[in-house]
Amino acid sequence: MRRVLVVEDSVSARAFVRAVLESPDFAGRHGGCEVVEAANGFEALRLLPRGPYDLIVTDINMADINGLELVRFIRASAHHRTTPLVIISSLRGAHDVQRGLALGANAYLAKPFTPEQLDETCTRLLGAAVDRARQSEPPVEGP
Amino acid sequence: MAEGGGRGDSGDKARDEFFSEAQELIDGLGRDLLAIDEGLRQGRADPELINDVFRGVHTLKGLSGLFGATRMAGLSHELEDVLDDLRLGRTQISSAVLDLLFQAVSLYARLLAAESGDAPDPEHEVEQLLVALGHISHARAGGGSAVVAQYELDPGLLGVLTEYEEHRLRANIQQGLALYRIRVRFSLATIDSALDDLKAQARPHGEIITYLPTGSGANVDAIELEIIMSSRSTLEQLRAAITGPAISIDEIPRRSGPSARAPLVPASTPEAAAHTDFAPAADAPVLGVDHAVADDSMSAGATAAAMAAARSASPQSAHRAPPPRGSQRGPERVEASREMSLRSATQTVRVDIRKLDRLMTIVGELAIVKTAITALADRVRGRSTASREIAIELGRLNRTFERHLAQMQSGILEVRMVPLGQAFDKLARIVRQISREHGKEVNLVVTGADTELDKLIVEELSDPLMHMIRNAIDHGIESRDERLRVGKPPVGTIALNAFQKGNHVVIEVEDDGRGMDHAALVAAAVRRGVVSADEARELTVREVLALVFMPGFTTKEVATDLSGRGVGLDVVKTNIGKLGGVVDIASDVGIGTKMTITLPITLAIIHVLLVEIGAHLFAVPLASVEEAIALDEGLVRTVESREVLTVRGASLPICRLARLFGLAPVERDRRGSFVVIAQVGARRLGFVVDELVGQQDIVIKPLGKSLKAVRGFAGATELGDQRIALVIDVAALIEEVLLPSEVRFLAAPGDHDETGRRQAAAGAAGRRLDRT
Amino acid sequence: MAALIRLRTEKRAARRAGDAGRRVEYLAFGLAGETYAVPIRHVAEILRPPPITPVPRAPSTVLGVISVRGKLVTVVDLRRRFHLAPAPIDRKTRILLADAGTGEQLGLLVDDVQQVWRLAGEEIEPAAVLGGEQAAHIAGIGRPAARDGMMLILLELSPLLDSQ
Repeated sequence: MRRVLVVEDSVSARAFVRAVLESPDFAGRHGGCEVVEAANGFEALRLLPRGPYDLIVTDINMADINGLELVRFIRASAHHRTTPLVIISSLRGAHDVQRGLALGANAYLAKPFTPEQLDETCTRLLGAAVDRARQSEPPVEGP
Repeated sequence: MAEGGGRGDSGDKARDEFFSEAQELIDGLGRDLLAIDEGLRQGRADPELINDVFRGVHTLKGLSGLFGATRMAGLSHELEDVLDDLRLGRTQISSAVLDLLFQAVSLYARLLAAESGDAPDPEHEVEQLLVALGHISHARAGGGSAVVAQYELDPGLLGVLTEYEEHRLRANIQQGLALYRIRVRFSLATIDSALDDLKAQARPHGEIITYLPTGSGANVDAIELEIIMSSRSTLEQLRAAITGPAISIDEIPRRSGPSARAPLVPASTPEAAAHTDFAPAADAPVLGVDHAVADDSMSAGATAAAMAAARSASPQSAHRAPPPRGSQRGPERVEASREMSLRSATQTVRVDIRKLDRLMTIVGELAIVKTAITALADRVRGRSTASREIAIELGRLNRTFERHLAQMQSGILEVRMVPLGQAFDKLARIVRQISREHGKEVNLVVTGADTELDKLIVEELSDPLMHMIRNAIDHGIESRDERLRVGKPPVGTIALNAFQKGNHVVIEVEDDGRGMDHAALVAAAVRRGVVSADEARELTVREVLALVFMPGFTTKEVATDLSGRGVGLDVVKTNIGKLGGVVDIASDVGIGTKMTITLPITLAIIHVLLVEIGAHLFAVPLASVEEAIALDEGLVRTVESREVLTVRGASLPICRLARLFGLAPVERDRRGSFVVIAQVGARRLGFVVDELVGQQDIVIKPLGKSLKAVRGFAGATELGDQRIALVIDVAALIEEVLLPSEVRFLAAPGDHDETGRRQAAAGAAGRRLDRT
Repeated sequence: MAALIRLRTEKRAARRAGDAGRRVEYLAFGLAGETYAVPIRHVAEILRPPPITPVPRAPSTVLGVISVRGKLVTVVDLRRRFHLAPAPIDRKTRILLADAGTGEQLGLLVDDVQQVWRLAGEEIEPAAVLGGEQAAHIAGIGRPAARDGMMLILLELSPLLDSQ
């Protein structure tokens, strides 16, 4: 079961991401997927301690605490320093994307993105996390 | 959006959310534009409102892209450019620009309707608007970071500002405002209210640019924030205004000296990056936008460097005296007591009306359970003393249940009620638009905008109201010159009044225009063959005015927009009729015209009279019932192939519903029938039914789309044990039964011979008597 | 034409499904001695007919309305729809709640409900061009290999439910 934190101030955009991540297709390939929603940066800060999360998806252009500030905060935190992180930018957000990646995001999606693009990006990042986790596990001995 | 497999319900839900959210955004844009318009008229421009409009369009763009509404996305793209120019002062807001923005909002609404398949695609108009917008927007000037460089902002800060926030920062700086840093600590539990308080305290003084979470996140109960704000107030004023525990405010000083170096803006250009402490990390993020993923290793390095740079470069501004401000003190910023009435700052929850329908259905089912419990209590009562006691207790509990159920029922109904202001807001925009189109000056005065009606009714009202107002401006209000000539004020007035009257809501649309010319109406009617010249002479004032509700009727020879084609008023009448309401019209030449809409307050629950017709149950809404009497067949006469009953000396046309509905007559062993006397507006009709069963409150439910073509039924309701009673649409039946004869009277010149005409006239006179 | 195109794609899908070992499930029901079937994904529920309230002046194919957990559903008599002689409701009669694709659910009155057949692509053949009104609603003929001689008339729901 994978836990994904989605931070996005638009209700329908959140519903869109949830629809993709909870679809039998995606969830099936990842052993189930639980989506936790935050409607803004403050909610995200409230929900972060309730992790761990296998993946964090955040919009950049939010009011008050924007996505970049959130990325910086997440990367500075003890628990989520290495959690895979996807930032969502708007079409003309090249600067925002560069800043986000500079701050430690792993990938970005530019709106408008298709369900397939979201699926592919998340799958790739979740896979990479699994690999990393597996690598850090001690080898199993025994009959 | 490609339809992948397996997204089913979630995907539909997401799409539903999209429509709902997009609609809300569009409504918000409309309100903001109206506020800007109001401000313009008073000679001021509110930059924060323009920012809000920009933000709304920006969000719409993102959403429409996600959900495949490409035309909306395209329109948003262009609008964004124009709004950006406005925001940054490259273009000045003016009436002409505002007009285009208003147009864009109504196009948005139509595009959204086209997306859901409810309306045709306004492709052509969108193209035209895009061209017009293109003429306004200028080329985007890049950069401008030099201005930001004048302040001692730490580089880490700039690295976490979105481009949008950076724009706002720049805009504020360019206006010569001071920058402040507010450090706060909130407990996560109460952060919402604490934040609201802070915002309320800060807003009158300036603009908050961004909120930065600081700290390590180790503390799970509290969060530390750095808030960057621009303001014309002094530090002392801010410190006095923004108070609270764990709040400290400092000014962000300007750098001294003209040779101030540009501070670190990571990777906006490779060269800039090279000059900064940020250098080690700078290489990493200089990716073209084609790179989809930054390596984990690279981002780790970038993060470390970013944090290092941030820590090393943060200025100790707290200990430095603020340098004399070089910028001039601009005029006092207009206080931010914005038009709260136009912007909703209330605590509201957006609810899908289908959820409310579902709740009402459950309430209805509970009512059935309650009836069953009563019956059970009765059965139990007779058995023994012990069971009698149980029955009494059961009855008492049931009555409590009933009380609570009634409260819940009215509670849900209340939730469905929304203020008419929702429909009126849109109209304000339309009035502006149409008056400009016609070169007339019209003032819209609204009273009773907080009168509430069922949401579905309010939504259905916008179109009819719009037509009525269009009509008033087009035909009613005279041109400025003409008005002055007859001694009226140059600006015309349209008054929209709404108020509650008993079980109904009344909406009046009144104008002080030229009124309806009796003679012109009659002449046009005669010309169109609706009445003969002779018949025309016999028409009452009321009948003459009612002529405007006939299809295709217009007194203007040249079709202007919608009004001229006469699409307006007959459609209005039909639509209002569908809502269970009526339209009346009164007019005085030279003074004005008043149209009155009377509507039932709610569609959902109605009081009905249950009747039996041909062994089936039907419900007649009591709001339309005058009385019910036993039918004396002896008093029935046939006049002009219509059956008429004499009631207290007056004639009442009757209609045998069993016959009309084609229901097989039931063997009624000499029992008499009953007549339910129904009245809608000025017309009365007696419905002949087999039995009167009783009065009841019912929840009315719509019949499916497949039965849309069946006339005469407003819906149906379930009455315990799966019995269903169809609810009669009284207005529709009255029209169906009575109208043909009226039309025959009015619209068939030459068909009647002399006696026929006299009889018909007598009939009409008889009807007129009935209308007392 | 549209029905054929749809059938072609469905057939291709069925063939692919057959190749991958997956089949399309059809719910079979009886009507005046013949066996018909519709893709089961269109059938939301199967009900014993509750009392049906007639709607005066509705089209003749509409038997009336029923209440399904508080919601009103219009019931269509498939016999009348296919110009077959109407028959009284007996204890085997059922109502299929079908998604009309317009967002509305309609109830289809049938003589009885039989079983679900899982048909592979090669067990379905497209309808030959028939005369008469049935043509638009017939998607094809299903011959399940599991039962020799069994013939299912496969129905296309949308044209069925659209024109009354």
